Amino acid sequence: MAKSDDLAQIINGCKAGSAESFSQLVDMYAGRLFGYFYRLTGNSELSDELLSELFVKLVGKIGSYKGGSFDSWLFKIASNIFNDYLRGKQRRKKLLDVKKRELESKITEPKRSESERIDKLQIQLEKLNADTRELIMLRFYSQLSLKEMAEMRSEPIGTTLSKLHRGLKRLRELME
Amino acid sequence: MNSRNEENLKDLFERFVGAEEAEGAVEDFQMAERILREHAAPEPDKELIAAIKSEITEAIRRRKESAFRRIAYKMAPVAAVFIILAAVSVRLFERGGGGPVKVTYASMIPAAIWESDDIAIDDLDLAILTAEIDELESEVVTLELGENGGNGRSAVTELEMELVEINSDFWEG
Repeated sequence: MAKSDDLAQIINGCKAGSAESFSQLVDMYAGRLFGYFYRLTGNSELSDELLSELFVKLVGKIGSYKGGSFDSWLFKIASNIFNDYLRGKQRRKKLLDVKKRELESKITEPKRSESERIDKLQIQLEKLNADTRELIMLRFYSQLSLKEMAEMRSEPIGTTLSKLHRGLKRLRELME
Repeated sequence: MNSRNEENLKDLFERFVGAEEAEGAVEDFQMAERILREHAAPEPDKELIAAIKSEITEAIRRRKESAFRRIAYKMAPVAAVFIILAAVSVRLFERGGGGPVKVTYASMIPAAIWESDDIAIDDLDLAILTAEIDELESEVVTLELGENGGNGRSAVTELEMELVEINSDFWEG
């Protein structure tokens, strides 16, 4: 991970419209952001799309970054993109409700590729509710402190701590 | 990231629960995070990263073009005003700097009269000239009609010569 001075220099380059600086930013964050999206969606192709969307949006949004924790700012955008996707998915679900019910009766488990099928963690993560799952992934991939996470979620730190503890404890139980 | 590494989970938990319970909670955190590390998510494809970088380059290009267009649209009316002002200024300068236009014209009045400041004398000269011309015209008409006893042609020639002489004298002032 680059030092904070290097990161500041890269961000300034991005603000100036340097493709090279954006390229460095992609190299620095693509792995963690992809992991975040992948663990939330359980789908590689969808994670590809969300990751692309995030970085292209970043070109327009980088000017609005006014300092503070860049990771927190970046993962807030990632979280918004994921939640937008979920809302869109819910809209589509309502529109295709009848067809979905027909399909659900035929499908016994979510369709996954072979590599995804053997990922026990992904299967157990899907047993958690969406908010808890997102909280755990935010903690793990964004590397934010609990204080930063609480600020991002606009809730008291005690609430974030409690929810995260319950979620991690549950995940631990599921994985054992 | 640094702030996360600096945070003390046990202290944080102890703000809300007892010491023993806090210790158990920290252990839950550590165990779950170990599981997450052991089950690392796949890395994004190199092709995906290349495609994203390419998309970013294109997005930057579009933004720059859009910004240039916005500036051009904003500047166009200002530039137009400047051009109009410059054109008007040049025209005004040309008019103002050229000095009075010298008007040239033809005149029936001789230069001596025109340039003279003595109006009374000038009027008198004009009246004499006009009277002489009228008299000569009537004599020419008389001669042409043969009212002077048949010697009209030589008399007309004589009169014409006289007229030329008067005219010449007059214009010389």
